[in-house]
Order: sequence, then C-alpha cells, then structure tokens
Amino acid sequence: MKKFAKEFLFRGCMAAGGGPVVLAIVYGILGSTGTVSHFSPNEVCMGILTVTLLAFIVAGMTAIYQLEQLPLLSAILIHGAGLYAAYILIYLLNGWLQSQLIPIAIFTAAFVIGYAFIWLLIYCFTKRKTDGINRKLNKAL
Amino acid sequence: MKFKLIIDEEKDEEVVATVHNRSPLTDQIEQLVLAYSGADRIAAYTEDEVKMLLFSDIECITVLEGRTYAIDAHNKRYRLKHRLYELEKRLPSSFIRINKSTLANENRLEQFRASFSGAVDAVFKCGYTEYVSRRCFAEIKRRFDKK
Repeated sequence: MKKFAKEFLFRGCMAAGGGPVVLAIVYGILGSTGTVSHFSPNEVCMGILTVTLLAFIVAGMTAIYQLEQLPLLSAILIHGAGLYAAYILIYLLNGWLQSQLIPIAIFTAAFVIGYAFIWLLIYCFTKRKTDGINRKLNKAL
Repeated sequence: MKFKLIIDEEKDEEVVATVHNRSPLTDQIEQLVLAYSGADRIAAYTEDEVKMLLFSDIECITVLEGRTYAIDAHNKRYRLKHRLYELEKRLPSSFIRINKSTLANENRLEQFRASFSGAVDAVFKCGYTEYVSRRCFAEIKRRFDKK
C-alpha cells in the first residue's frame, strides 16, 4: 500500500502540470471559435486548480496496475470507478456538466463506452503481441 | 562458429559459449553440460516420496503461500526446498520469469493467452495456467523478438 501511495504521488506529480496545458488548449479553441468570449477570474482559477487535480488523479490512478497481487479485473474496475468519480466531480464543480439526470446519464454512457473502447483496443494490441509470441513459440518447439 | 577446447588442469572446469542469440544448439549444450555434472535435476518432495525431478520435466516453479512448488508434466505438484531466486540462478536458461513468483519452462509452454481484461496468461502443456505480469511480458516479448 505504501508502494502504491508513493507510485501514485510520483505519477500524479509528473502529469499534474499537463492539466492546465490541456485546459489552456480547450479555452483557446472555445475562444477562437467564439463559443466563449470571456471567463471570470474565479472560473479561470477554479478551472486551473481542478484540472491540475484531475491530471494528478488520472495519472496517479494508473499506479494501481503496478499492484501485481490485485487481479487485473479488480484493478480495471477500481481504476474506472476512480476516474469516473474524479471526472464527474470536477465537471460538476466547474459547471461543465449540468447537475441533472439526463446530462449525467449521457456523460456516464459516454465514459463507459469510451473506457470499454480503450480496453478493447488494449485487448487487440495484447492479442497481436501474444499471437506473435505464440507463432515463435510453436516454431521453436 | 569456432570450437575452442582449452585443457588446463589448474583452472576450474566450465563450458563457456559465446553466441549472438540463444538457439536449439545452445539449449542442447546447456542440457548436456548440466546432465554431465548431475545438475540437471532437483530433489522434489511430495507427502510420501522424494524424487529427483529433471528440470526438463518441470513445467513451472511457483511460490504458493510462501512455499516453492514445481509442477510437472502431469500437473503434479512437488515441494522444493529452495527459494525462487536461488533456483533462478541454478535453472537452465529455458526457464523464464513470468511473474513475481513463477518461473516457467519455455519448452513446456503451450501458448500465451490474452484475455479481455488486458491480462496475459501462460498456458502450460499440462493445462496449468498462470498469469503473466506486464513487466515480465515485456521482457518475454523482447526475448522472443530476438528469435
């Protein structure tokens, strides 16, 4: 657990700085497309601080996959739940997501589909690697 | 490939082969040398017998509840009185680490199997299955890429 906390902190700190950069890009796009013309100082401060925290959590959560004793399915579920909680809380806090059933349901569905799609890609990638090794394994025997 | 035989009664006996990659030839040399020196087997214990188990008959060696076990071709489990890191030094190079607590005999591997959770399992010829850690899988991939 101590190792996990250390790894979480390390990974989180490494990536936290990337959050405001992403936010700046999003703000830049919103500004240039005319979607938003101005932000209040409070909105900007809140955005920077919460996105920094989000980047810290998102990167830190990946440390869960370093825990070999934890079954991978459990790690995926904990990771997914952690990310979902972090995203939804920060989106609601910033007012980027309306605190109503339908927007939250749409966000949840998009998150689940996105998360499942990423894992499907990982599966395909891993399958390709194992198939390559198996070919060589069968050739060697 | 050159063959060099140095006869020197003053030095300890050893067989050193310099090659670019592991191959069936290096495996055969290794097995021959280990067999010649009697180091190709290990004492393995069950509740009522002690057996000298040939390394080539072992599918994998794993640690379960702090104890080291060898699993043979019939999926039979034998207790070994050595720690995994001690065995790692002693075993032929066909044994590869697949996770923190398991060494697999590459020659007894049936296949690697990817699962939907993104995990990889090693399936042995006897049917025994053990998970492959991500760190070890990267190392295994590098090893097979060289072949």
